[in-house]
Amino acid sequence: MSTFASRNAFDPADVQGNILRGYHYGRVRHLILEVHHAAAARRWLGQCVSGHPDAPQITTEEHWTTRPASCFNIGLTYFGLKGLGASKASLASFPTEFKAGMAGRSVKLGDIGESAPNYWAEPFDDPSKVQLIASIHADDLVELDRVEQQVVNAGSGAAFILHTARDGWNFDTDHVHFGYKDSISQPRFIGVHDPDNHADGQPQAPIGSMLIGYPTEYQGIRYNIPQPDVLGRNGAFNAFRILAQDVAAFEAYLDTAADELLDHPLSEELLALGAEASFGPDVSRREAMREIVAAKMCGRWRNGVPLALSPTTPNPEHEVSLTNFNYEDNDATGCPYGAHLRRANPREAAIVQRAARHTRRLVRRGVPYGKAFDPAKPDNEERGLLGNFICASLGGQFEALMCDWINLGLEDPQITGSNDPILGANFRETSWFHIPLKSGKNINLQGFPRFISTRGGAYTFLPGIPAIRYLASL
Amino acid sequence: MSGNSSWMNSLVNRMATSKFFNYLAGHVLVPYWAWRTPVYAQHGGPRATIPPGDNMQRMMNLILPLKDKTAVGRAKAALAIASNLDEIYAGLDNVGTVHFARFVIIENNMCMISSYDGDFSNYIRDFVAQLGTVFDSVVALIEGGDDMIPTKENIDAFINWVHDRDVYQIPDTATDLLRYGTIGHSAAKADGPDDLRLMPRALILQLHKNPNSLLGSGYRGYPGLSVAQIRHKMGLGW
Ligand code: HEM
Repeated sequence: MSTFASRNAFDPADVQGNILRGYHYGRVRHLILEVHHAAAARRWLGQCVSGHPDAPQITTEEHWTTRPASCFNIGLTYFGLKGLGASKASLASFPTEFKAGMAGRSVKLGDIGESAPNYWAEPFDDPSKVQLIASIHADDLVELDRVEQQVVNAGSGAAFILHTARDGWNFDTDHVHFGYKDSISQPRFIGVHDPDNHADGQPQAPIGSMLIGYPTEYQGIRYNIPQPDVLGRNGAFNAFRILAQDVAAFEAYLDTAADELLDHPLSEELLALGAEASFGPDVSRREAMREIVAAKMCGRWRNGVPLALSPTTPNPEHEVSLTNFNYEDNDATGCPYGAHLRRANPREAAIVQRAARHTRRLVRRGVPYGKAFDPAKPDNEERGLLGNFICASLGGQFEALMCDWINLGLEDPQITGSNDPILGANFRETSWFHIPLKSGKNINLQGFPRFISTRGGAYTFLPGIPAIRYLASL
Repeated sequence: MSGNSSWMNSLVNRMATSKFFNYLAGHVLVPYWAWRTPVYAQHGGPRATIPPGDNMQRMMNLILPLKDKTAVGRAKAALAIASNLDEIYAGLDNVGTVHFARFVIIENNMCMISSYDGDFSNYIRDFVAQLGTVFDSVVALIEGGDDMIPTKENIDAFINWVHDRDVYQIPDTATDLLRYGTIGHSAAKADGPDDLRLMPRALILQLHKNPNSLLGSGYRGYPGLSVAQIRHKMGLGW
């Protein structure tokens, strides 16, 4: 073990590479597989971690000097572990939410109505078919196809049934549908080399908030290690979500809200007369107001600048950090309490569940899918985000965030009873979003629909490398 | 309608509410049904639900059987709570979502009865984060508790353990069925509930598995408000 690894108390060669760092490739392809022939599938898994020339090699957390043409990682659902032949006792040792699967937790996650699992795209509507998700990261389609072919050929074509392949690609420098710059905030980990090394005002997260088998920041709480130890340790859990984004509805709502706000008696508190000039050349008051609504809902301007550091304009006079900010003195006149960013990570702000501070952090690896929306040529094609939300405990982190903070808003009494304006399970009839103003008054936006719906997904376990060897040996 | 069949009807009707029939139903018929139609014991506590109001002031009624079922055992349990009371209250305060909580010894059970906002697992996890070390001395006195200690290091198992010991909540809809004299019969309340034939079989089977139950989601004096909202409105600081 290198000194680096011993400081971290984990060996980077034991951990899949997509957990603690982002690869920054232009494209991703997720292959949704069902184990067809267990022995062949197990043999192939072994080949993926032993340098076999015909099998894609699992990318680990080890540093590379030259960037490979592609990276390859796998996740297994409960049905996947079962399909590979994990023992009853081993299966039983996994956390309840993982055993229930994402579809089994739908109400907790707000997957209701059209987002309910029975409406999910195939094969996600039948969770037993979603067993292994193989993710290929590369810059070009030729490489994605090459690796996909290697997977399809596994066990002379008998190991898996390929149900579907889901492609995502980065467009326009990390912007996502709805026009926001994404992939800015990520937890930084104690002792793990962080090449970007952006300052951020938050304590570094212990490795145990992502990897199974290490101490967490949660006052001595340790998440159970799935058994046997070699299987559970150094793994992580992942919520894979196919989230469709209704761009037309979102942009239309920005129009409606901007018109409403321009007529609002308090409109100048949001946008002082003439302030639209700072938004860009020839930007109208209405266009500026649209950007204000989009920013308040998110917590960042669409160009990524955080509201906490630049409350009134997306183009602050002096450059501000994109990552190093907090909700000082619990102020919400910049970033509202109910904004997506603040709900998803309240940082140092006061929260109701004080015991949970800093404990519900997630690594987010999301890539858009579907063509960029062109307002000049509106269409009904599906587009959205292929999201991976990674953590050591789905119950303690991902679900806790979704059911109490994103929806419901328990973390602050001023938003309790409302859902995240961007991501929440909203209904036009009941939705509301408060924008606190410097004068102490609030502007209340209402009547917005649900903008993001769930089209599929699965809870997967991202096994460590020794765990993959163990599964291969079953 | 012939006189004969109305005589039969009235016999059957009388039989249904007779002591003999009730005895037969409770001791023979229900176990027979349960054998024919196996039913899983539903988890205790409230079900996952979307409307915000239903996620506030949810009820927990934990029944934890004491290992030592003598006065000495009960005294030990009383002592375990009493000697840690300040820490327990401070911890509950830091969980932030608890309206009230009380410990009651009923027969030979330590009962913890509380009302909390939001998700059950989050509540228990935060509770353990705050209080696990103190609460372990209570868990040690409970049947099956030893396997859970230290709770901080068995958090997933402990949440399930608690969930299994939270009293089954008869859904509001089923409670309404009982209230209004059950399905298909708009019969007056008076003849409804004690007539076993009119009660939903699924409910009876569930109560066979879950002998303790909470009827519906309970009464709330200030519906739909979280602890923090109340504190905030009263200017108490949350
Ligand atoms: C299509 C769906 C989604 C969209 C469009 C979206 C959009 C965004 C944007 C634009 C940001 C700011 C960029 C950044 O800070 O990196 C952000 C941050 C974040 N989002 Fe989302 N998001 C989506 C789904 C989710 C989901 C499902 C979760 C988790 C439950 C989530 C959790 C977070 C977190 C934790 C942050 C970072 C907050 C911080 O550390 O300050 N997002 N999201």
